[in-house]
Amino acid sequence: MADKRKSLIKIKPKRYKDGEIVKVSFMVMHPMATGMTKDKKTKKIIPAKYINSVKFIYNGKEITNMTVWESLSVNPVFTTYMKINGKGKLTVKYTDNTGESHEKTKKIKPRG
Amino acid sequence: MKTGIKIALSVAMLASLSFGSDQFAMSDADRAMYAEMSENNPADIMVADGEELLSYMGGDEGFAKYLGVSEDDLPAYIAGFPRYIKKFDMVVGLDQVIQAMMADGGHKPLKLKSGNMFSLLAYVKSIANGEKINIDVNANPQMKAAYALGEKTFMTRRGGRGLSCNSCHSADIVGRVLRTQPLPDLGAKGAKAAATWPAYRMTKSSLRTMQRRFQGCMKNALLKVIPIGSKQMVALEVYLTQKAKGSEINIPGLKR
Amino acid sequence: MQRRDFFKKLGTAAAITAVIPAMSFAGDAKPKGPNAMDFDTAVKTITGGKTPKSSKKVKLKVPEIAENGAVVPVTVTVDSPMTASNYVKAIHILDGKNSNARCIDVFLTPANGKAMFSTRIKLGGTQNVTALVELSNGEFLMASQSVKVTIGGCG
Repeated sequence: MADKRKSLIKIKPKRYKDGEIVKVSFMVMHPMATGMTKDKKTKKIIPAKYINSVKFIYNGKEITNMTVWESLSVNPVFTTYMKINGKGKLTVKYTDNTGESHEKTKKIKPRG
Repeated sequence: MKTGIKIALSVAMLASLSFGSDQFAMSDADRAMYAEMSENNPADIMVADGEELLSYMGGDEGFAKYLGVSEDDLPAYIAGFPRYIKKFDMVVGLDQVIQAMMADGGHKPLKLKSGNMFSLLAYVKSIANGEKINIDVNANPQMKAAYALGEKTFMTRRGGRGLSCNSCHSADIVGRVLRTQPLPDLGAKGAKAAATWPAYRMTKSSLRTMQRRFQGCMKNALLKVIPIGSKQMVALEVYLTQKAKGSEINIPGLKR
Repeated sequence: MQRRDFFKKLGTAAAITAVIPAMSFAGDAKPKGPNAMDFDTAVKTITGGKTPKSSKKVKLKVPEIAENGAVVPVTVTVDSPMTASNYVKAIHILDGKNSNARCIDVFLTPANGKAMFSTRIKLGGTQNVTALVELSNGEFLMASQSVKVTIGGCG
C-alpha cells in the first residue's frame, strides 16, 4: 500500500447547531499528475496519477459523490455544503487511478 | 565601464515592467477571489503535519520550555522572531531554534531546507497567529547589527544584472506589474510580507518559507543564492520583519 | 468529397507517426491524456444529447485573469431549494481546451442543503470554463465564462 496521504476535513463555521447548513471542505496532498507533463530533469513523462473518485459519507449515508478528472489542481480542494442532521461522523473516501484508496473521518458534534 | 552596462541593463529590465492599469493586470474582484481561497489553504495540511512533528518533541509546552518562556507568553514571544538568543550567541530564526532543540533532545536535526522543517516552522509561527509582529531591532547590539546587515543585503546590487532586492521592491516600483503581479514594496514601513510567510505557493504547489522565497527570487534575478539560516539570510528576514512590525500574523499565507 | 478523403488520408498518416514515438519529431509531440475528450463530446456524454439552457440560476465564479494556470479557483452556485422533490442532481465543471474537457462531476443530494461546489482546476491556456448543471427534473442548465491565463510574476 502506498504511503499514508495527508488530508484534512474542515467545517465552517467551527461551531454549529443541529439542522444548520455548513460549508465542508476536503483537502488532500496529491500530485494530480495528468500523464502529459515531463519530469524537468529526466525528460521522461510523469505517469498519470490523479484522484478519480471522492465520496462524502455522513453517518453511513452518501451525501455527495464525485467523479474526478486529471484537470484538478495539485493538492486539490473539494468544497460543498451539508446539512447537519444529528451527531456522528463525516467520512471522506477517495481513490485514485492507480488503485490507491484512503479515507478520512471527522466527528460531527452539533451544539445546542 | 562594465558596471555602466550592467546598470543600463537593469534599467532596461525595469522599463519592461508595465503599470497597474495595463490590460493584463488583475481586477480587484479577481484578487478578492484569490484571497477567499486562503479559507481552504492546502498548506493547512502541512501546518497540521508540523504540529504532529512538534508533538514528538514535547509540543507547544516543550517548545516554550526550551525557549524559557511560559506557554501563555509563547505566542507573543514567537511574534518577535528572529531574535538574539544568548544560548546560541547569535540572531536566529525559529527554524534554527527548532533545529537546536532537536539536537539537544537527542534527535537527528532536520535540515533547514527540508519539507518537514518548513512544516514545523509554519506550525510554530502559526502559534502566534493573531499576534502582532513585535520584533525589536534595538533590543541589543546584535539585533542592531543584524538589521544593518539585512538592509545592506537588501540594497546591495549584485549578480549578472546588477540587481538588488531594492531594484524591484522599492517605493519606485509601486503600481508596477510584472506580468499580472503587482510588485510589493517590501522596503516600505507596513509591508506585511513577514506576517504571511510561511505560505503555500501555488506555482510550486508546496509550502515555502520566507527565506526559501528569497532564494527563489535571487535565483531568478541571477543573484548568487544565499544559504538558508546564514547570517545574511537571517539578517534579511530581520530587515523585512521590522518593516512588517505591527502587522497581524496569519500563517499559512497563500501566494501565487 | 475527394478533398475530404485526401485530408482523411493525411490524418491517418499523422496518426501513424504519432504512435511510433521513437521516430523523428513524434517524440516531442504533446502526449494525449488518458481521458482525452473534447468539450462538445463531453457535454453530449453528460446530457445524453439534451441541449443545456443558459441560465442565470447558475452562478459560475472564476477569475477573469488567472494568476496562475495551475491553480484556478472555480465556484459554482445554483439557486435551488434542495428539497427531495426539487434539487440539483449534479454540477459538472468543464473546460474548453484542456485535453480532457471534464474537470469534475459532482453528484449532490438534498442532504447537501445548498447547491454549491468549489474547487481549483488547472488550465493550460486562455479558455472558457463551463458549469453544466443537472436538475432533479432532468433539465440541464449552464453558464460559461472565459478565463485568461497568463504566466505571472517571477518564478
